[in-house]
Amino acid sequence: METLYRLSNIRKSYGQRTVLAINELVLRPGTLYTLTGANGSGKSTLLSILAFLSPPASGELFFGGAPVRWNNAALLPLRRAVTLLHQSPYLFNGSVFSNVAYGLKLRAIRGDEQHRRVEEALMMVGLAGFEHRRARELSGGEAQRVAMARALALGPRVLLLDEPFANVDRDTSALLEELVVSLPGRGTTVIMTTHDPEHPDRLGGELIHLVAGELAGPLPAAA
Amino acid sequence: MDFFTESFHTALDLIAARDPDVVSAVTVSIVVSLWSTLFAALAGIPAGVALGVSEFPGKRWAVTLLNTLMALPTVVVGLFVYSIISRQGPLGGMGLLFTPSAMVIGQTVLAVPIMANFTLSAIKGADPRIIPTALTLGAGPFASVRRLVIELRFGIMAAVIAGFGRVIAEVGVAMMLGGNIRGYTRTMTTAIAMETGKGEFALGLALGLILMTVALIVNLFLNFLQQR
Amino acid sequence: MKLMNRLLLSITALLVLCTAVSAEERLKMSTTTSTQDSGLLKVLLPPFEQKNNCKVDVIAVGTGQSLKIGEAGDVDVVFVHARKLEDKFVADGFGVNRKDVMYNDFVVIGPKNDPAGIAKAKTAAEALKMIAAKASTFISRGDKSGTHIKEKELWQAAGVEPKGAWYVEAGQGMGPVITMATERQGYTLADRGTYNAFKGAKTDLAILFQGEKGLFNPYGIIAVNPKKHAHVKYDLAMKFIDYVTGPEGQKIIAEYKQHGEPVFFIYKK
Repeated sequence: METLYRLSNIRKSYGQRTVLAINELVLRPGTLYTLTGANGSGKSTLLSILAFLSPPASGELFFGGAPVRWNNAALLPLRRAVTLLHQSPYLFNGSVFSNVAYGLKLRAIRGDEQHRRVEEALMMVGLAGFEHRRARELSGGEAQRVAMARALALGPRVLLLDEPFANVDRDTSALLEELVVSLPGRGTTVIMTTHDPEHPDRLGGELIHLVAGELAGPLPAAA
Repeated sequence: MDFFTESFHTALDLIAARDPDVVSAVTVSIVVSLWSTLFAALAGIPAGVALGVSEFPGKRWAVTLLNTLMALPTVVVGLFVYSIISRQGPLGGMGLLFTPSAMVIGQTVLAVPIMANFTLSAIKGADPRIIPTALTLGAGPFASVRRLVIELRFGIMAAVIAGFGRVIAEVGVAMMLGGNIRGYTRTMTTAIAMETGKGEFALGLALGLILMTVALIVNLFLNFLQQR
Repeated sequence: MKLMNRLLLSITALLVLCTAVSAEERLKMSTTTSTQDSGLLKVLLPPFEQKNNCKVDVIAVGTGQSLKIGEAGDVDVVFVHARKLEDKFVADGFGVNRKDVMYNDFVVIGPKNDPAGIAKAKTAAEALKMIAAKASTFISRGDKSGTHIKEKELWQAAGVEPKGAWYVEAGQGMGPVITMATERQGYTLADRGTYNAFKGAKTDLAILFQGEKGLFNPYGIIAVNPKKHAHVKYDLAMKFIDYVTGPEGQKIIAEYKQHGEPVFFIYKK
């Protein structure tokens, strides 16, 4: 089976403290991964490396079989394949539409196609008709869902989610869980962090467990 | 008559009569200040942004230098530009000294560090999630900084307002580089300095009141822009 | 954002319109503050400007600075009052065609009760000597202006080197110095024109010594030498000099009055 990501001897440290040390990890496309571990175990650091937002201190990261070169020109197409959703997402000043359409505009997607995809994404998160609402005036749960729609509108190959259900009400949480579980079936790989011990079982994904920056427990199948 | 009431009445009289000297000084003040603000914004805001989002060795020195430039007295800036654009200076052939263009140059030099500094503080205080959010949604380095600037438009507009305030209120550069030529380079501030010199204190204060009114109107306008 | 862009664009367009002034010729003249502050230039310049379709840009500073600006070639003509410096300016090749324009005189002003008793002095130098002897407050221009240069000549003639707390070097124009002398109730040397403009409402100081030959205050006008600075508008400068020293300009100067008194006098030909 093909591989999506391969991490080889990845190290990341802040000052003297090593926050991430992964010798070998392979992630397959079209899969749901749940990334667990205590606070400070390196979950967010791993996500930001997988999102190509911050380079590892050493080691090699492969994406789609090719090694990742950490320079701006090489990173742009990679970043356009992968989207990270922060646990308390930042919404831009302006309307819900302008937020969800932001990534589409960057990809020079035409107006009518833009509208169609924004509408579709908002529908998926249960916010149909929210286009003209001001993003900053939404409730926490609504904001989380708009951020999810903003990521989904791009149709990314990989969606990285940092504690997506941590700051939302139960209804939103249920809706998002259902949505997230359906994504691998549509070809989007999902890697989400969580510290809810029930999540891995309930969502049925493959488990990656980090302890103090290192992989622990059974590893997901490599092939 | 009491000094302040006299000034107040003089101000009202000047406005009511649309005194040509006052009208001209107000026009020169506004036009020169707006040009300077525009040019200073074009240079200072990108400089502040560049300084704010990049990391390089000696950055702390650059910031310290910027802070020092902000403290430059207007007469020093005036003298510096004077030495460049005087007929004896390197740009003397352009015949800029004692023209409104000379004032625009001087005031631009004066306002650039202020705008760069205000922009820099706005960026320092910016939400750290803005750039990563833009990047992960597919922005390149330039597009992500552009988004940052748009998100910070309140702070950056504050930079513009501060720069405008500095140039419309200053007298050193305007006097030295403009030469206080009646109807040509005489601004509100140089007119006030001159009338004070002539002992016309009430008239000077009246002009001061008019200048404040003008500044208030321009600032209300800039504030309106900021709300957009 | 779109509205903001449009607004900024319209501001820019407005600025460009405001800045596009008519392309009439501009003659730059540096001069002493007294010619401007007396109000003379306001009546002297317009007829010339109309006839020649030009603007005379007046930069009013002290005589010393006026000549320096002329030396640098930043103006086309200088109109000042310090004969010795003017002659040096011409001798050094910076100016040509110096012409006498008009004169008035300097006066020593001070508090009405005249603590140093200079009203009884026979010469201006003696008057200054008495002020120094009493250590009465004296405000000096201290700015290398024509008046300051005259004052230094007088101290030299008096054989006194002014020094001490009583001798205040202001480093400012004539107006501020008269104001300062009024506030401190001190003496100062002033040109009659500026003093007349201050007399009454702005100062209670009185003329305590006047009318001596040594207090003669002649004004001269000089074109900046085109051989030194090729860019100067020599022809227009000469036209202006001819106008100021010709019958039309001289008549305006002679008839100009402030508070009902003449400010400048012309030479009888």
